[in-house]
Amino acid sequence: MKQSLGHIVQIARLTFLEAVRQRFFNFVLLLMLALIGSASFFRRFDFGNQELHFIANFGMGGLEFFGALLAVVASAQLFFGEMENRTALTLLAKPVRRWAFIAGKLLGVMALLLVFVTLLTAALAAYLKWRQGELMEIWHQALLAKEVDTEMPEAFRVQFGGLALDALLQWLKFDVLAAITLLVASYSNTNMFTVISSFFIYLICQLEYIAREQLDDLKVEALKRLVLLVSWIFPNFQLYSIGDLLVFPARVPIPDHAIWAAIEYSVIYLVVFWALASLSFRRREI
Amino acid sequence: MSTPAIRIRHLTKDFRLGLRLVKLRAVDDLSFAVADNEVFGLLGPNGSGKSTTMKVILGLLEPTHGDCEIFGIRSNTVEARRLVGYLPEAPYFYRFLTGRELVAYYAGICGVPKREQAKRVAEVLELVDMTAAADRRVGTYSKGMLQRVGLAQAVVHDPRLVILDEPTAGVDPIGAQAIGDMIMELKRRGKTVLLCSHLLAQVEGVCNHVAILHKGKLVAEGAVADLLRRQGVSNLAVENLTPAARAEVEAALARHGAKLRGVGDARVALDEFFLSKISASKPAEKQERP
Repeated sequence: MKQSLGHIVQIARLTFLEAVRQRFFNFVLLLMLALIGSASFFRRFDFGNQELHFIANFGMGGLEFFGALLAVVASAQLFFGEMENRTALTLLAKPVRRWAFIAGKLLGVMALLLVFVTLLTAALAAYLKWRQGELMEIWHQALLAKEVDTEMPEAFRVQFGGLALDALLQWLKFDVLAAITLLVASYSNTNMFTVISSFFIYLICQLEYIAREQLDDLKVEALKRLVLLVSWIFPNFQLYSIGDLLVFPARVPIPDHAIWAAIEYSVIYLVVFWALASLSFRRREI
Repeated sequence: MSTPAIRIRHLTKDFRLGLRLVKLRAVDDLSFAVADNEVFGLLGPNGSGKSTTMKVILGLLEPTHGDCEIFGIRSNTVEARRLVGYLPEAPYFYRFLTGRELVAYYAGICGVPKREQAKRVAEVLELVDMTAAADRRVGTYSKGMLQRVGLAQAVVHDPRLVILDEPTAGVDPIGAQAIGDMIMELKRRGKTVLLCSHLLAQVEGVCNHVAILHKGKLVAEGAVADLLRRQGVSNLAVENLTPAARAEVEAALARHGAKLRGVGDARVALDEFFLSKISASKPAEKQERP
């Protein structure tokens, strides 16, 4: 067991090193940094009190889209890179258990996604901090000129702790998506099939809340059971879409236990998808 | 009798192909054993089942029927793989690592203790004559260097059994000769080597035993010397054979009921000739260098 844990760490480390050298990762990272930088363009428009909201939503929206793209494409590429280049053949001919190989790949991709989310959230936070400072100064001048009654209200200010929590939730969501992609890759023969199937599953996970909402209205028992089954199999990614409530003070604050519940929910799905991927990969002919 | 390094009994492997799952039998009721500390050649044309057999030995494929053991341990277990080093055909490694980092990575994977890793890595890199290029990135290596660093990763954990799949594919005769020497060195160190190669001259030179597969079946197996011996036929190597001497030899042979089958010029093998010329020109090359 101890040796397998060592294998996981070593495979994860190498997977991460390989991943950060991928052109796709660097391209997406630079594109996102450019997008966050381009937010200064929005100063030309008058968003009023909502400017910081807009920048935060724009930044986190981009992070959500490109993070999902990276989770799927990087996981599939790193898995099939090992298969097609036959480095998996050399590695699995050594005393490495197949579940440790899958766990190492998953942890390597998770580390990559952590770097991605951390860098972009830090860039977004820095930009929001700078712009908030400017807006607060404008508000202060307006107060001195008696154009407004108070300093900039809390409701318009960014909660940077909340931004970090939102980033954490997004990272967990990407991790679950990476685990789903590895599960698909473990039985699929091609990179393309894996990427397309994983995006399809991502869409189901994003939209399954609609089916959940309709559950009570469904009259046909069989259909109800099917929807229930689907909602158990696929994680509900809407649970992670509470960024706006975290980044800006909400009328009804998100309780701490809700965040912990989201973390537990992610960990359970991560473990289940990793176990299924390991089971499927166990009998795969290399 | 000691436990064989490899024992394969009634191994059959079927693959299911296409949507209709048509059965393709890659290996058909194969049985053989490889004794400890011998160099064993696994031969056969393309598609004969050599790679499938090797993958079963390495635990990468599950047999449909039959079983395979490595030093008495079932080959599909992690315990069996601890005893094996493997060099795949045309090895491809992580291009961004240096040769030293690559071998150290596999040393870690194989459980070489951290405190011994640097020493062990240096030793195997020296064994394969890659010390000078050890700190270059693998992506810059030639085919021959890749094979050598591949051999280094295969033996870094000091396995009892080393499996080499086409170790000289794409390598020039000098590199092939060096790999042949390394195989002999492994045998000298007490290792068992399973060699899969199309270079029959090399197999003949280094292997004690061979097994020949065709269409998944074993068609011949035994000691190289026994298999290649022509029953009742002997060679004489003679210098300065004149027609008169030849006539006398033929007469003498006839008196003993033997017959001279033919006389021709003795020839050296082309690879032997090539290597002798290259090695002869080496000192001159050194002198030419400033």
